[in-house]
Amino acid sequence: MTEPAKRSNLGARLRIPSVEELPPESRTAVEVARQSLRRYPMRTALTLLGLAFGVAALMATIALGRGAQGAIREQVRAAGLNVIQITAGNYRARGERPVGGIEAPARHGRAAPAPFGAPGDERWLAEVWRRIEPVALAHPENDPMEKHDHPTAAERLGDSAAGLGAAATLTREDADAISGLPGVAHVASGIHESVRIFSEEGRWFTRLHGTDVDLVEIRRSFALQHGRFFDAGELRRSEQVAVLGSVARDRLFGPDADPTGSEITIWNQPFEVIGVVVSTNWMNPGAPGDDEFDAVYTPFTTVHSLLNLTNLNTITVTAASSGRVTEVSRAITDLLRERHGILETQADDFTVETQASQVLSKGLHPKVAETLAGNIPNLERTTLRQLAATLERSSSTMSALLLAIAIVSLLVGAIGISNVMLLSVRERVREIGLRMAVGAKTVDVGGQFLAESVLVGAAGGLLGVVLGVAAALTIESRFGLQVELSVITGLLAFSVALLTGVVAGVSPARRAARLDPIVALGSE
Amino acid sequence: MAAIEVRDLVKTYVLSETHKVEALRGLSLSVAEGEFVSVLGPSGSGKSTLMHILGCLDQPTSGSYQLMGRDVSRLDDDERARIRNEEIGFVFQSFHLLARASALENVELPMLYGAKRPGREQRREQASEALAAVALSDRATHAPSQLSGGQQQRVAIARALANRPRVLLADEPTGNLDTRTGQEILDTFSQLNRERGLTVVMITHDRQVARYASRSVEIRDGRIVEDTASSNGA
Repeated sequence: MTEPAKRSNLGARLRIPSVEELPPESRTAVEVARQSLRRYPMRTALTLLGLAFGVAALMATIALGRGAQGAIREQVRAAGLNVIQITAGNYRARGERPVGGIEAPARHGRAAPAPFGAPGDERWLAEVWRRIEPVALAHPENDPMEKHDHPTAAERLGDSAAGLGAAATLTREDADAISGLPGVAHVASGIHESVRIFSEEGRWFTRLHGTDVDLVEIRRSFALQHGRFFDAGELRRSEQVAVLGSVARDRLFGPDADPTGSEITIWNQPFEVIGVVVSTNWMNPGAPGDDEFDAVYTPFTTVHSLLNLTNLNTITVTAASSGRVTEVSRAITDLLRERHGILETQADDFTVETQASQVLSKGLHPKVAETLAGNIPNLERTTLRQLAATLERSSSTMSALLLAIAIVSLLVGAIGISNVMLLSVRERVREIGLRMAVGAKTVDVGGQFLAESVLVGAAGGLLGVVLGVAAALTIESRFGLQVELSVITGLLAFSVALLTGVVAGVSPARRAARLDPIVALGSE
Repeated sequence: MAAIEVRDLVKTYVLSETHKVEALRGLSLSVAEGEFVSVLGPSGSGKSTLMHILGCLDQPTSGSYQLMGRDVSRLDDDERARIRNEEIGFVFQSFHLLARASALENVELPMLYGAKRPGREQRREQASEALAAVALSDRATHAPSQLSGGQQQRVAIARALANRPRVLLADEPTGNLDTRTGQEILDTFSQLNRERGLTVVMITHDRQVARYASRSVEIRDGRIVEDTASSNGA
């Protein structure tokens, strides 16, 4: 007594769509198919699940693949296709401009070039050098291994301070001049030091970036979790205020603490914490050693006044649009060469970069950057576009792989349906014979099996889409990977399932329809 | 008008070029409307072949077949399916019920394939009527496995009646039943024949069973060898 009740319950739970809208011919097939599917709930459920998992895998894969591509696009954009980084000193292995081979003594803070030969103007010296030794290809300037021992920087600051950007060739006046150039959107002066920071709770050795108010505009992955960035007034007054990167905050005040208003000590000086910046970019959540979030930001004027410095290590510029980057960087180069009084034949005493290394060091997770940097030859010359293409390529390789897996699982699902349907035809030969005896036409019998398969496909597709969305969201929340779900993806996954149902049903349906009723009735 | 009128039926099965089986060798038979005829014969006599042709499941090699005055010997598959659906009710030796469907759903089956394709309500109603005709209204929701052999066969009869056909074809309907239950089934046929004027053609190898019919036709080697009116006793 309980048996049929249980069955119909199970059957009712397998949501199968309504048939009322269909034309009368196919209505019978669908109705009979629904009955049959309900009568074998276990078989139906298993077939359906097989397909649903395939569809879910497909769906999640597409979502993941699209998410990864979206993330990369975002990443490249966030890293700044329009960001131009100017570093003091010339660290390029091979410059954009052909280098005459003679390094003119770089100078610092020259507002305007002095007339040729005037006191203090050493262009004549360079001219002499050029004539004596016209080509000096083996100059350390051309050797990439020499980049941390730049002669100019060493000359000026001594070996210990001769790090990247340590050449004292950039000034805030340079930055101001650059901000006057057409096509320049934001300019941020930068002076960078390694510092030991003390808070009440702890201490941490990290990077200090003396910077400008515009930095928040330039760094698109920045989000202020607490407080605010310093303002122009604080910059002007060289106030001792600090914005902590999330990693530095974690170390100094504990994870997710809100330290605004607290005091930290840098160089034995008290600084007020006014904000915390976190990353909005999942690929770079901030990690120890990271230049952006394992860091502290203060006005560069504060650094200047406390350390009694006037130079800048970097000037970060954004072009109004990524299309103008080349134009703007050329203008900057010309401007700075003019301001620094560099002759045609002399090398730049600064480095203007719009290149891949920038993206790698600023945007990406350090580990990712490291891996990529190690795997891309001639990284220095790789353009952003190429880098983006490389990233896209690697992500589409991953997507293709995942897609292949999803297609295989879908194929398994399809073969599953087809198999079950063929088995079910064989198992139900007598039933088919009987149906034919009571008046089922070949189209009725074929239609029934096709409809069974299509219904399983549709229900499996629906379930698969639901499971796929759930899987994608789980992946997003548990593993922090970006996924991109869309209606199109859902429709695509569903139609694939439906198509699978149709294709898988054709052969069993033909087999059933071709049965001879007499033979079918007689089989035991 | 004769319900069934067959003339010179020949059915030859070609198994290979050298091996042919002549199942029917020029058989003629006329069954009047409202008759209850039994076709008697041992296995291999051709009675099953005759049954298949009469039931429009198969076509004769030659000869004519008129069902209710209509020539049905040369119809295509779909047309024959329609004749089976509307004009003929089948009852089989092994019942042929759908194991996972209830008695009522089994009875509804022919209605799913009719040209009229009645709605759910009407099907249910008509099927209930048919079940009532075989005194099984109280078993409508039961699965075949919950019914006795006799009850299962009665469900099969109700199914045969569902589309209100004119002719009932029964192939060894008591073959899987014990004698007493078999008698009940035969009584049901007699009753349907008497009360509804249903034409019944019943195939059997059992003379005792054949006696229930009002007329008994005996086949041997594909031909009719005897055609007698029987006592039609119950």
